[in-house]
Amino acid sequence: MITLNHYLVVAALLFCIGLFGVLTSKSALRVVISVELILNAVNVNLAAFATYVAPKEAVGTSFVIFLMVVAAAEIGLALALILTLNKSSDIAAIDSISQLKG
Amino acid sequence: MTASLILFYVYAAVAVIGAIGMVSSPKLVHAVMWLFATLFAIAALYLSLGSEFLAAMQLFVYGGAVTVLVLFVLMLARPTETATSKPRATRTIAAAVLCAAFFAALAATLGGASFSHDVAGAHDTAQLAQILFSRYALPFELAGLALTIALIGAIVLAREEDAE
Repeated sequence: MITLNHYLVVAALLFCIGLFGVLTSKSALRVVISVELILNAVNVNLAAFATYVAPKEAVGTSFVIFLMVVAAAEIGLALALILTLNKSSDIAAIDSISQLKG
Repeated sequence: MTASLILFYVYAAVAVIGAIGMVSSPKLVHAVMWLFATLFAIAALYLSLGSEFLAAMQLFVYGGAVTVLVLFVLMLARPTETATSKPRATRTIAAAVLCAAFFAALAATLGGASFSHDVAGAHDTAQLAQILFSRYALPFELAGLALTIALIGAIVLAREEDAE
């Protein structure tokens, strides 16, 4: 029998791996896809809670839909930023992007 | 051990292996492919939860759109990851220790926690549509607006040089 805790532990593991990716990567694109992983872990949590704790109403499921919209907006903007930064300089190292203007 | 539990472990293993492959693969294209495996497994997890609509959306939005978008940017921008862009070993170890400790704390808390749950039952897509278009109608419209603004912003950002 699969319990709610199974899903929560898997989501926590995915979250921590995504966190590790954000902390260690030096390329902006890597940071973006790691953030996507973190958001997906949160989505799994929400969907699991929606199924196990509140099965009568689809509140948690609708939160997942909203989070997907926000994540799509986020990745669209982030990729546009990466393209823009790539025009002016080499985006390989996010440490080198130290000023916003100029 | 029932068949559904075995399937759950298979999905979870694919998701976790994909995530580990994503953070550890040296090439960015491979990292995106690993991410795709993880997103696919998460869609299977949604199916095992009984939310078939979420599984379909996961495949459309993440498996389809996001992965292809990232691959397109990778193709257009060609970000070069040189040897100097590798993180220092001390930084990697510190991050690994931090994340492992965080996961240990989370797993210790969540693994043993007991929630007052009703009988587990998935809600169907009709229920989701009902709540999305009645109680959450305004947030739904705002989400659409936010998505439109973000996409216009993305176009403006990406076409900045033409305006000058």
